[in-house]
Amino acid sequence: MHIPDGFLSARVAAGSGLIAGLGVAFACARVRTTGLGSRRALLGVSAAFVFAAQLVNFPVAAGTSGHLVGAALTAALLGLPAAIVVMAAVLIVQCLAFGDGGLLSLGANVLNMALVSCVVGYAVDRLACGKNPSPTRRVAAVAFAGWCATVAAAMSCAEQLALSGVARLRIVLPAMVGVHALIGLGEAMISALLVGSVLRLRPELLTRSGVNHSRSVLGSGLGLALVAALLLAPFSSAAPDGLLRVAAQLGAHAPASSGIHAPFAEYTLPGLGTGVLATVLVGVCGALLIFGLCWLFALLVVPRRRTPAAPERASSPIAAE
Amino acid sequence: MLGSPLPVRRAVARASAAGKCALTLGVILALSALPVRHAPFGLVLLPALFAAARVAGLKLRAWLKRSLLALPFVLSVSLLGLFQPDGGALFLAVLVKSAVSVLAVQLLLQTTPASDLLRTLRRAHVPEILCSTMLLLQRYWSLLADEAARMRRARAGRTLRAGRLELWRAQGNALGLLFVRTVSRAERVQAAMRARGAP
Repeated sequence: MHIPDGFLSARVAAGSGLIAGLGVAFACARVRTTGLGSRRALLGVSAAFVFAAQLVNFPVAAGTSGHLVGAALTAALLGLPAAIVVMAAVLIVQCLAFGDGGLLSLGANVLNMALVSCVVGYAVDRLACGKNPSPTRRVAAVAFAGWCATVAAAMSCAEQLALSGVARLRIVLPAMVGVHALIGLGEAMISALLVGSVLRLRPELLTRSGVNHSRSVLGSGLGLALVAALLLAPFSSAAPDGLLRVAAQLGAHAPASSGIHAPFAEYTLPGLGTGVLATVLVGVCGALLIFGLCWLFALLVVPRRRTPAAPERASSPIAAE
Repeated sequence: MLGSPLPVRRAVARASAAGKCALTLGVILALSALPVRHAPFGLVLLPALFAAARVAGLKLRAWLKRSLLALPFVLSVSLLGLFQPDGGALFLAVLVKSAVSVLAVQLLLQTTPASDLLRTLRRAHVPEILCSTMLLLQRYWSLLADEAARMRRARAGRTLRAGRLELWRAQGNALGLLFVRTVSRAERVQAAMRARGAP
């Protein structure tokens, strides 16, 4: 799924690059603050592992083979910020050393395969794992996360190609998602086998001592909501909903305005008007606004409890997030 | 060295990586700005690219062969353009733009060592964590790739049945073992770095 140069328009490449740059910068800052930055060797050698693992081919059929991509797997093994840094490093080196993926489209590739893949993979893995998962559940969660991450990255890629005018969304999206839904099965299987093997050999590498589970779930949920707004908002139908349609059929007309000034009236952004970009940005703003309001409401309503200090648990060399 | 460039003339190889990068990006931007019906004009850049490759002392055949690696993706996505109005022009435009862009990028990569490009990123204030991760990746990927190859050979020597499911299981286990060894290696490398005064 490495997009070569010549496909994306300058605007789409720049926009994707900006989002990717901000995401990776945030991940780097987060890695430093969680202390994983002092374990640079782990990040670097893990990136080398992902690079090397991508060279291992698994036979599929009729002379074809597949290979691991590893975004969701890396997120499950190292945590989200470290996984984003590792995958971004792999993609940049693949571009600069092997020409795998374009120079101008590097930002888009990082957005698809480092940010979207890792966020979706991590969120699905965290949500599916729950607290203290059994080995079977752990393996199933990372497998499902791998599949979801592959499909999400394909959707993001399809949108970028459609926004660049290379092909219509209703053609490129089913093509990309259809193919990658199958490729995602391979990713799921390889991830499951790998995690199963690690669970047998060194299970402590997959436990995270002291993880705040509720924060992990909240972050995962917010991440999924933002990715959904980013990827799914462009597909929103412009057709009227059921109520407006019935009203139109009966000859009734909605009033011109409700009298309240809405900043994002009709899901448009002042200055950007209508269009895919405005819809996506409004979706993202809406998701953040609602999350913020719910968080505030929870802070006001839910009484705080003092929890006893958690007992010490064996720590893994991979730092908790 | 990762993706070691083909034999090139020293002057071209020693030229500023940032300058070569900027020039390549300029070419790609110029191509992407061409409207669909004027995209075939992008082919005028081909003689310039070939001339630059000759000056750099690149073997043309090898340069073109590496550029062809992107062909499957280029063709498969370009073909999607045929399914819309004026699809022929769109198909040709995407094909021309991506083909010329890929040649330009390969020319850059074959005339510039990857380490120079990574140093350019560092000077461009890319976060230090990301830079050090890339440098360590460059240092250790071949070691891990060799280890993966040795494990594959050992597995092949010990596996009598060659069914697909067994192969997948064996290679998945091998990757899991490789990850465990990766973490152990990382711990040793970190200890060595700290012993040498790294933070």
